[in-house]
Amino acid sequence: MFKLKLFKGKKQQRLSRSELGILVFENTSEVIAAQKILLANNWDIRVMGPPPEIQSGCDLVIEFPLIQELNILRLLEKEGIPPIETVPVTDPLLQPVDLFQIKDFGEFLMIRAANMKITVEKSTRIIVNVSGGGCPDVPYLAFILVGKTMAQAPNPMDIGHTLCGYALGLAFKEMQQKCSQW
Amino acid sequence: MSITIDARGFSCPQPVLMFMEAIKSGNESQIIVLVDTDASKENVSRAAESKQYKVSDILQQGDEYRMTIVKN
Repeated sequence: MFKLKLFKGKKQQRLSRSELGILVFENTSEVIAAQKILLANNWDIRVMGPPPEIQSGCDLVIEFPLIQELNILRLLEKEGIPPIETVPVTDPLLQPVDLFQIKDFGEFLMIRAANMKITVEKSTRIIVNVSGGGCPDVPYLAFILVGKTMAQAPNPMDIGHTLCGYALGLAFKEMQQKCSQW
Repeated sequence: MSITIDARGFSCPQPVLMFMEAIKSGNESQIIVLVDTDASKENVSRAAESKQYKVSDILQQGDEYRMTIVKN
């Protein structure tokens, strides 16, 4: 019970690599579902990009405190979304990669999460471009977001209906954090 | 005044940023943008509309597009 409390509730300090594991799922829908369940149960987890060496599964993984592997697996099995693989992050080659790629164009900043990109004009915080994906709702998301400031724009996770909307939501959230630092 | 932006070979968001740079002075009444993907065409169109410009003509030449954008 002590260990359970240790990793639940408030975010703990980032664990060292040897104390972390990654959950690999069949597809991104399962990652999204698992993330919701684990966060709702107060687990400190992060959605990351998979290590290049892991070929199976989708383009997102969940990083979790390895010591809680059994509890987390039990919960996910109970919810009907067990991962296809659980990998300890002990090997440097198995370290998950940062999900976000950030490119500074000078007056503009672009953040990419998985297959989606959002670009903002730094001085005004107006969204000037949304691209990537290939899902049917990307044109809609771009239409709603482009031309609005980050403060005015709705979160793509709230208005999107596909995995592209989810990825764009991750990029949007990261951009919000960057904007708060300017 | 009219200028031409050759954004062929650039991936998004660069064609959009090239367009934004071109309209910064506010002096250009007509901008010709050359792009070579559907995504770039759509993204530049959206950026133009959000900046009170209008795409008045799109001419397809093979895989490339010649977009004529004018101030509203």
